[in-house]
Amino acid sequence: MTEITKTLDVRGKICPYPDMDTMTTLKKMQKGEVLEVLLDYPLSVERIPRNLKKQKHKLLEVEKLDGPNHRMLIEAHGLK
Amino acid sequence: MTIAVISGLFIGILFGFALQRGRFCMNSAIRDLALLQDNTLMKAVGIAVLVQMFGFPLLSWAGLITPSPKPLFWGANLVGGIVFGIGMVLAGGCASGVTYRVGEGVVAALSAVIGLAAAGTITAMGFLKPVMSYLQTNTKIMVGEASPTLANIFGLPYEITALVLSLVLGAIWLFVAMKNKEEVEASEGSLTQRIFVKGWTWLPTGIVIGIIGILAYWSSASAGRNYSLAITSGWITFVKKYIVGVPDTKIGWDAWLIVGIILGALVASLIAGEFKIRWPGWKTILQTLGGGLLMGFGAVTSAGCNVTHILSGLPLLSFGSLLGSISIALGAWLMAYLIFVRPNQA
Repeated sequence: MTEITKTLDVRGKICPYPDMDTMTTLKKMQKGEVLEVLLDYPLSVERIPRNLKKQKHKLLEVEKLDGPNHRMLIEAHGLK
Repeated sequence: MTIAVISGLFIGILFGFALQRGRFCMNSAIRDLALLQDNTLMKAVGIAVLVQMFGFPLLSWAGLITPSPKPLFWGANLVGGIVFGIGMVLAGGCASGVTYRVGEGVVAALSAVIGLAAAGTITAMGFLKPVMSYLQTNTKIMVGEASPTLANIFGLPYEITALVLSLVLGAIWLFVAMKNKEEVEASEGSLTQRIFVKGWTWLPTGIVIGIIGILAYWSSASAGRNYSLAITSGWITFVKKYIVGVPDTKIGWDAWLIVGIILGALVASLIAGEFKIRWPGWKTILQTLGGGLLMGFGAVTSAGCNVTHILSGLPLLSFGSLLGSISIALGAWLMAYLIFVRPNQA
């Protein structure tokens, strides 16, 4: 069981807030800390994993919940 | 039932379906280039433009359409485009993006289209009309009797120029992609799953939207409206007919296209299980309404939104559309910098 450091709920947010909020939150986190993101915007579900790679954060898990809702677990790379 | 009703609605349903499946939004495409260094959606836009640049000349040779590039009025293209670009970042979607998201259940997109339709109408026939007319009349540049295009400024015919250009650009793209060993991301699952459940990747999205654009031009021209896909004019028609009550306003091809887009996106999102009424809170509703208002003014002033200028206008080689497109991108980058980049630098 992964220990979740922080949870970010961006459900209902419009483009590109889900992505921006996720990225800026990860930027402030320490290496190895885990961010849980709850989102319901289809484009971001596909786009966030693409952009995580560039920032070297690690996508641990994407879980599809009911409807367009998704839960993502991301391990921060620790840029600070 | 006229031909405009059936064909506009039909093309709209296809377009809405493809927009939803491909997550095809030009606001994201333009903004992500600068903001996330992500060019995936821009590649889909590029493919769609090239496919149409290849297809429109064939339609013209077959006598099915008459190429009708948008005029160049640099002041209007510049001001309208920049205002539109600023607006679409605030609205969280371009004209087609907010329209299809209404069908996905995004309430913030609904307030954006209300703004777009309202300001579009006010600029087309209300108190902002003098601003639009002033800019359009005083900065207009013509080549003889025609709107300037990349073809006619050199005295070349449109058809062969566009056809050759689409092939040359396509070849350059392929060459660069091969040189960079770029791989096309493969989608997994059965064909039905890939079409109806998973999001489409950029290459099929671009090709499908390009083909829809070609069919749209043909069907719209048969209905007596000689242009390809467009968004704002359809929305304005509804306001004119049902709110302002302008007599004899006809619900034409472009208005049926809008109805179709929303239906197509609704069906696509229901099948994929992505439909959900999303309430974002009043602050976001006001932001997207404001964004929509700017988009409406910008689109009518510049004689085109992102669809008219980028998707349909660039394949017609129109200089007005080229300037309109560049201005939209400039406005979008400026606004994205102000609300996303700068606050996070502190």
